[in-house]
Amino acid sequence: MRTIIHKLTPSLFQSEVAIDLQDTPLPARTSGREGSKGGMGIAATGRFLMLPGQIVSLLVLVVPLIVALYMSFTDWSPTRGSLFDAQFVGFENYSELLIWDTRFLYAVIRTILISTVCLSLEFMLGLGLAVLFLREFRGKSILFSAFLSPMMILPVVVGYTFWMLFQSNGPINQTIAFLFGSEATIEWFRSAPFALLAVVVTEVWHWTPLFFLILLSGLNAVPENPIRAAVILGANPRQVFWRVILPMLKPVIIVAFIIRSMEIIKLFDEVFMLTRGGPGSSTETISLYIYKLAFNDFQLAYGAAAAFIVLVGSLLLVHLMLRPMRKQLLEVHR
Amino acid sequence: MLSKKLTIPTVLIMAVALVMVMFPVFWIAMTAIKPPTDWNASPAIWVPSEPTFINFLTLFDTDAIRKYGVGGVSQSATAAVFGSVFASVIATALSVAIGLFSAIGISRYGNGGKATPLIILSGRMFPPAAIAVPFVIIFSTIAMIDSYGGLIAIYVAVTLPFSTWMLKSFVDDVPREIEEAAMLDGRSRLMAHFRVTIPLIRGGLFSTTMFIFILNWSEFMFALVLSYSNVNTIPVQLAKYVTATAGTLYGVQAALAVLAMVPLILAGYGIQSHLARGMTFGAVKQ
Repeated sequence: MRTIIHKLTPSLFQSEVAIDLQDTPLPARTSGREGSKGGMGIAATGRFLMLPGQIVSLLVLVVPLIVALYMSFTDWSPTRGSLFDAQFVGFENYSELLIWDTRFLYAVIRTILISTVCLSLEFMLGLGLAVLFLREFRGKSILFSAFLSPMMILPVVVGYTFWMLFQSNGPINQTIAFLFGSEATIEWFRSAPFALLAVVVTEVWHWTPLFFLILLSGLNAVPENPIRAAVILGANPRQVFWRVILPMLKPVIIVAFIIRSMEIIKLFDEVFMLTRGGPGSSTETISLYIYKLAFNDFQLAYGAAAAFIVLVGSLLLVHLMLRPMRKQLLEVHR
Repeated sequence: MLSKKLTIPTVLIMAVALVMVMFPVFWIAMTAIKPPTDWNASPAIWVPSEPTFINFLTLFDTDAIRKYGVGGVSQSATAAVFGSVFASVIATALSVAIGLFSAIGISRYGNGGKATPLIILSGRMFPPAAIAVPFVIIFSTIAMIDSYGGLIAIYVAVTLPFSTWMLKSFVDDVPREIEEAAMLDGRSRLMAHFRVTIPLIRGGLFSTTMFIFILNWSEFMFALVLSYSNVNTIPVQLAKYVTATAGTLYGVQAALAVLAMVPLILAGYGIQSHLARGMTFGAVKQ
């Protein structure tokens, strides 16, 4: 854990912090003059401002994580009394999870699969819509707001709404019956592939607007001159898009992917409302599996170990995504 | 660059996209005003012939639905609405206040150790299930389970990265010279921030507040595992209705869903121009 945090820290923020310190235009000579009011010095003020955030993070994130880490090495469950009475079992939970627990393995694979499919679709649809929105037309701002609305809706409500839409007598089946006849209708939540498809559709509907929003603001910020130059040099619109615009959009695309990956890896609410992981465990995501372990089966220690594996995995994933892209991210950030 | 005019295919694509985007919203809104006979009709009824507000009424007066011959709803949603408003408002205020301190600290002093920004950010990376498990244990030990205090503490912690980074991006936009001028006038550093920086980012502060409110109001999993009888929020109540009735109370559930999403859509449209900034931790400015 520590080494990961240390390794991640410089790559993400060090250069930025360094830049901030460099442009701090308040060196000692000014602080002499303003010291008359008895205010705190630079360092003290800075520390003071950071304090509340640090306390909250420490109490509400770091302490529970330490407890969870300790717990993951025990066989504790609520029926065994206090956490201090728990039996220390070493890496037993971890080896069980990583080697024997196929349900966990499948949940991981499934989550990665859902994430890959959803993010690709969201990216393509979002980019397509964003490109259409480069044109000027009447009612553009209203349409823009309408296209953003899904991402403002609560995940639980989105899950519930699509659960209704996918009912066997719901409007989606009704439309299918109208187009292809009633024998083509689908029992969405009774078969694993269709249930997975329902999850993907829901997730894509919910979060394509985020890609659309981020990519559109990126597209609007693309400078005109390189495009003009390319056109003058004889590039056709397709070449301009793939060779000039898209490369310039790269930093924004990366930001969008990082943000969405961080979120979709935790996918829970929508699936909970749609399928509860069913039929069987065929739509179970990592979060849903850990939730069931801890709060349905009360295997809290085992659940904590699973949570840690996921945590380390997602930290590594984000780190891997960030490393080659650090520069772009910081450029956007400045 | 690319053609600036709308052609017929693009208009068609837009129209199809608009229908796909709006249809689920339309469906949930229509279901919320359907009388019980239309709830689960087969084939499904798209627009109710006799729209009614009985579903909304039933949320707060569980027996109201009985006049349609439908058994009453087991639980009123009053407590859930109260709980959602209470927890979201307090958690949002705390998160924005603390985030504002951190934002100024990071933007102006690059301070707090190099790890702090990362620790704050990684709060968002943890799978909620990973923090929920230890929380339940810690909170049961210190008698904070099933209490709003516990729920609010978690909400503040998980939204802190968003409020900090979003506010930092607004603070970054304020020229330092303005603060320096205030400091030369004899104000202390801290007072300069309070009197000068904060008023200058009013708009950003408002957007951040709305954005954090959206996050808190939408939160589901922590509320689900930390609530038994005292604590309740709208998302948890919605899940309870669906479980308790196997989802057969379509209209009432849809009414609660509509009630839950109206404030968010209003807040979301209100801060539309800053939504990208919030979602990307201030990395994308619009």
